[in-house]
Amino acid sequence: MKLIKLFIAFVVLNLGAAQAVLEVTVVKKDANAFPIIVSHFELVGKGAQDKDISKIIQANLERSGRFNVVIPETIIAQDVDAQHWKRQNIEAVVTGNIEQQSDKIYKFSVSLFDVYSNKQLFTKTTRVHVSGFRKVAHQLSDHIYEALLGESGSFNTLLTYVTVTTDAKGDKEYRLNISDSDAMNVKSRIKLKTPILSPVWSPDRSYEHKKIAYVSFENDRSEVFVWYPYTRRKIVKLPRFDGIASAPSWHPSGKSLVLTLSKKGNKDIYSYNLADKKLTRLTHNPSIDTEASYSPDGTQLAFTSNRSGQVQIYIKNLTTGKISRATFEGRYNAKAVFSPDGKSLAMVHRIDNDYRIAMLDINTKDLSVMTNNELDESPYFSPNGDMIIFATNRNNKGLLSVVSVEGNRSYELSSQTGEVREPNWSTYLEK
Amino acid sequence: MKNIMLLPLVAILSACTGSGGFLESNTVVIEERGAEDKTVDAIVRDESGFNWSDLTKPFNQATNTTQANAKEQAVDKLKASDTNFVLYFSYDGADISDEATQEIIKHANFMRDNSGVKLRLEGHADERGTREYNLALGENRALSVKEVLGLYEGLDGRIEVISYGEEKPIAKAHDESGWEKNRRVEFIYK
Repeated sequence: MKLIKLFIAFVVLNLGAAQAVLEVTVVKKDANAFPIIVSHFELVGKGAQDKDISKIIQANLERSGRFNVVIPETIIAQDVDAQHWKRQNIEAVVTGNIEQQSDKIYKFSVSLFDVYSNKQLFTKTTRVHVSGFRKVAHQLSDHIYEALLGESGSFNTLLTYVTVTTDAKGDKEYRLNISDSDAMNVKSRIKLKTPILSPVWSPDRSYEHKKIAYVSFENDRSEVFVWYPYTRRKIVKLPRFDGIASAPSWHPSGKSLVLTLSKKGNKDIYSYNLADKKLTRLTHNPSIDTEASYSPDGTQLAFTSNRSGQVQIYIKNLTTGKISRATFEGRYNAKAVFSPDGKSLAMVHRIDNDYRIAMLDINTKDLSVMTNNELDESPYFSPNGDMIIFATNRNNKGLLSVVSVEGNRSYELSSQTGEVREPNWSTYLEK
Repeated sequence: MKNIMLLPLVAILSACTGSGGFLESNTVVIEERGAEDKTVDAIVRDESGFNWSDLTKPFNQATNTTQANAKEQAVDKLKASDTNFVLYFSYDGADISDEATQEIIKHANFMRDNSGVKLRLEGHADERGTREYNLALGENRALSVKEVLGLYEGLDGRIEVISYGEEKPIAKAHDESGWEKNRRVEFIYK
């Protein structure tokens, strides 16, 4: 028995090294986290035995910091004894079973039971192809999250990030990875000896249209590429422009993107339409304008500029064309992104010699610093606006950190084999 | 001995750069050469077989080699002189100091004398601040250097500017001792 376990561990580790699977560490949870039981699912049929997706749901809820997940050793039946769990201060119970129906098709039945009202909140029954197990687990996690907290979850979404490993000779390998929101199901098809920067998911909801814009130095200069990981699996290079091309960010339609170009050396922001290949200049200023990002409704564009002599965030109203300064606190504010409700910006904010993540209320201009690190970069909101993912540095090694906007919860994604950086969290996917 | 050798060298260098009518500041270059003991020592050692006419020939007229070799040798010779191939910058700065200007003028001289060489200016930044802003900043640094070189006729079209931002640090230290070495522009001849 011991031998078998060892063998499995070995295989998993190997997979980890090959696919750059990140280690997830929950750092801080809500003091009033919701006590919930997520029972192992009942597995019916030979093929179902290794497919207990309750583990994915348990990890999702726990990672959000809003749940205290209790996992009983024995499987809890779907007729829940409310009084028993009430005595143990459990407020909700998730049960389920997975039944193999044919070679690749399984039937799921998952229920959420509310202990205090003594009511079944839902039972979801679905037939799932074996390839859809993870997706169903994330969808179920979102259902549970929403039913109990009254807010949308961000589990059925995707991450992209860059990993960097250094071999014995000191040569670096850069990988552009995509994964589920739990950093599992990793695909890393783009592997280069040269730096990769700023990957960003297009806001398209369907896998067919979903794509990633990123910056690569593979031709010895910064160029913007668009990768279609699901359909054509192809990579399109944007036309060659003078100087640097960088800092891509998508229009909410997914049909065009903004990027920074340095035509004649002047770094300004341009919009590039993928269909008609038309380039439109959005800023005209001799200073550095870069790191543009659309508001969720596409009417505003936040960007970094040193036009005042300091590095600050500006917002361009795309209807009126008016540009106004958004940040006034501190001498360095950069890389702003809008929250999903469009009311706030997350950004990199310098305090003394430290670069930290801060949030700005656009209306009141209140700036709150979210972190206590030395070198934070690349903040992005989770699609429900509940958390911010960013890159940071510990003991001179890059890792990803995720903090709730209230600051009461956080977790980390790190790599045993190298550095992790440049995270981006997708918007919602099709259901 | 060193002082005696220095004087004719200064005179000839002065005549050489002066006759080209290329740069105003050749006297500065010569003063720096004179102040650098290493250069003078090398010439002293060569005294017995020293050919004065070599000094008046542009580097790319060297014979018995392919053109590529000649370029390489010319660049090697420039490297062996006290010319800096890396210039450093202040935090968030892209301004060229007076000292840096003198170094850039040496490169301008070299490019004039070696019409076959092309120059790639690589701008870099330290790790602080965002990667994308640093990419822009690195390009500004390289462009500042190009701007000085571009004052001289015929050089502009031979200069390529690129930026790596903070992606290729040469110093690993995560404090000012490392950062000051990483805020730089590198001269790479092709």
